[in-house]
Amino acid sequence: MRYVKWTFFTIIAVLLFSFFHYTLPQHDIVRVVGTENRRIDFGENSFFWASPDVGTAAGTNRDVRFINAEYPNGKIIVYRNEDTGWGWPPYFKLDSSNLQAEAQALISNDKANPTWVSVTHYGWRNEFLTIYPNAITVTQVEGPDVRIIPWFNIFFFIVLAGILLLLWRMWAQFRERTIDPTLESIGDTIDEIDDRADSLWARFKAWLATWRGKPRR
Amino acid sequence: MIAMFRLALFGYLGLTVLYFLVSIYSRSTQREELEKEWDAAQGPGERDDYIAAGMAAYEKGLRKKLIWLVYVIPTLAVIAAIYLLNFA
Repeated sequence: MRYVKWTFFTIIAVLLFSFFHYTLPQHDIVRVVGTENRRIDFGENSFFWASPDVGTAAGTNRDVRFINAEYPNGKIIVYRNEDTGWGWPPYFKLDSSNLQAEAQALISNDKANPTWVSVTHYGWRNEFLTIYPNAITVTQVEGPDVRIIPWFNIFFFIVLAGILLLLWRMWAQFRERTIDPTLESIGDTIDEIDDRADSLWARFKAWLATWRGKPRR
Repeated sequence: MIAMFRLALFGYLGLTVLYFLVSIYSRSTQREELEKEWDAAQGPGERDDYIAAGMAAYEKGLRKKLIWLVYVIPTLAVIAAIYLLNFA
């Protein structure tokens, strides 16, 4: 049983971690090396793609903007650049065309004198599913070593903890003030019924006893 | 635009549920506080009257009005997010 319990908790923890790791924003320091548009026919990976540009119709396929970039250590990364609009995740991103222009303005193929940018993004790159992180904003930074403090994520987890604390306090208050007194009164009622049943039973037994013969002498 | 209205509709429906939950919770803590105050001081007046008066004051008070922030804060947060992420 203990293994079942720990397996269960581990699965829940991994799912929660993956959910936040996928959804919350992260920052990459990269050099933009190019941008492109490709038509994508969404298949079994459609879950990992966002929505068409706000106001345009949804089809079974569409053109998606991509931003190709390189990390300071030479590894590459490809971002998609899609609107999330009013859907999930709630980044309310409406400006993917503008972002594409910004990224194009920051293309830096001069390796001797590179322009470094911080790309805020969510999502994962996975070659097996052909999925890409979605770039949210691009800002120029001074160098590849700048330290970016994830203020939003810190703030988010503080607020989340506050909400969970509030829900827990609400539940505790409800239990203390509503459920416990009700259960107590139900318990009292059951006790009363029990007592009455006992006395009925005693009377019934006494009545039965009247049918018994008198004790033999 | 339909997507925006759908988000607003379901968002405010969710916030309405939260609003009622917080209202009930806040009222309950207020009542508990009044009960404890009276029990500690054994007065003034009758216990039920004291609590009724205190709850009437609560219904008109600032603390109850502050629960409207349940609607205001998320709305402002969404507007701020739209501005900061797209137009700043």
